[in-house]
Amino acid sequence: MFGLDAISTHNGWHMAALGISIVFTGLVLLSIAVAQIHKILQIYDKRDTYIKRIKNIFRKKNNLESNSSDLSLSEKVNGAVSQCRILIDKMGEPFSLPRLINLSEKYGMSHPYSTINDLINAGFIVPDGKGYFLWNQDDKKIIRL
Amino acid sequence: MENLLMEFISNTGFAMADYRHIIMITIGIIFIYLGIAKHYEPLLLIPIGFGILIGNVPVFKGLGLGLYESNSVLHYLYFGVTSGIYPSLIFLGIGAHTDFSTLLARPVLMLLGAAAQTGIFITFLGALALGFAPKEAASIGIIGGADGPTAIFLSGKLAPHLIGPIAVAAYSYMALVPVIQPPIMKLLTTRKERLITMEEPRIVSKKEKLIFPVIGFLLCCFIAPAALPLLGMLFFGNLLRECVVAERLAQAARTSIIDTVTILLGLTVGASTQADVFLTPQSVGIFILGAASFVVATASGLLFAKFMNLFLRKKINPLLGAAGVSAVPDSARVVQMVGQAEDPTNFLLMHAMAPNISGVIGSAIGAGILWSFLGG
Repeated sequence: MFGLDAISTHNGWHMAALGISIVFTGLVLLSIAVAQIHKILQIYDKRDTYIKRIKNIFRKKNNLESNSSDLSLSEKVNGAVSQCRILIDKMGEPFSLPRLINLSEKYGMSHPYSTINDLINAGFIVPDGKGYFLWNQDDKKIIRL
Repeated sequence: MENLLMEFISNTGFAMADYRHIIMITIGIIFIYLGIAKHYEPLLLIPIGFGILIGNVPVFKGLGLGLYESNSVLHYLYFGVTSGIYPSLIFLGIGAHTDFSTLLARPVLMLLGAAAQTGIFITFLGALALGFAPKEAASIGIIGGADGPTAIFLSGKLAPHLIGPIAVAAYSYMALVPVIQPPIMKLLTTRKERLITMEEPRIVSKKEKLIFPVIGFLLCCFIAPAALPLLGMLFFGNLLRECVVAERLAQAARTSIIDTVTILLGLTVGASTQADVFLTPQSVGIFILGAASFVVATASGLLFAKFMNLFLRKKINPLLGAAGVSAVPDSARVVQMVGQAEDPTNFLLMHAMAPNISGVIGSAIGAGILWSFLGG
């Protein structure tokens, strides 16, 4: 068999078209891969700089988050300070923590347990070492902090 | 005693030779002449030429002398050709010898190597149209890859009976690259195009050169696994070269191994061209198709370079397309020669090496594809 018939019979057109397409695909992919090697190596060589940059970005983000949480905490604590001070003045020092909580509930303080806990953490209310608590005299300094 | 003498005389080459042996011995002598006097691929044409002489000394069958007799020394040596061992080892040497910097500096030029492989598949169609069986057609088509080891490798797998004519055609045309390519290059390009200068390639780092053989091997062989014996050795050889720590192995691959294998390959391929096997109408068809294949491959590369210029901001010299045929480094030298004929200050050699080397990879992929299509 000869001519175009022979090509068609032996599936020549398909083999040729597919063959050249695969060769092209292979070399195109290789050229794309090769073109990226030096870019990837550049990134690898400057990896310390990039890691620092990424760390800085995360550090800034974390600072912002902690600042905002500190801010919200201090706002909450500041609000509770005046309320608690009135109650403690009324009870007298040293005072028991359960009584302060009871009074706080009675006078309508929102979330008295967590608020008083915040005041303890912020150093407004300090233990006297005998099972009772005192109002910290340096409260103004602490508020500024 | 007289009988013994007569019997001896009847067994000599003089008594058994016919005109076909004379023709083949003449061809062998021409090859040796071209290699020595004209310096056309001497490392290949001299062994092949002498191999033709060896293969065409008439011997009587049964004594275990001829290459096609199963117990002969030549037959054992020829096993390296038919099994694909020699081409693979030559690729190892090529890899250990080749600097891929130019290709890494401008990977877009690899597309020219891909375009030139069109010659393989068009010749494949041409061979089918001329009545060759598909496996024979594929083996003939690969001549267009202009890569001797690849042509021998594929022929050994698909059409071992055609290795002789295919190898001789491939190496003959590779030796004639400086004669075949320039007229096509001038015909398909304008003077203005030939004067285009290429910008200096960027400097390629050692790390890039080290990573390339691994990435290149994995990518190419995952796409065309049948190219594994050739491309595996090519990229392995290149890794030996670039890693520096295995310099002894790289040195062996690019000197003693490739030299030994070239001698054995050339000699046995030459010896396979015995007159009764070689001088057939098929061989004439193979030579005609081989020439057409070279022409189509060169033209495809050139035309694709012109096509790429339609889209590229910084134009490339379309002569580089001719280097897409993988006759390393001859076709790149021809590009340099034709380019400098127009402008002596235009240096295209290093740029031409990129499509030239990608042509080697492309033709090996092409061979792998044809083998996977037809090898079953």
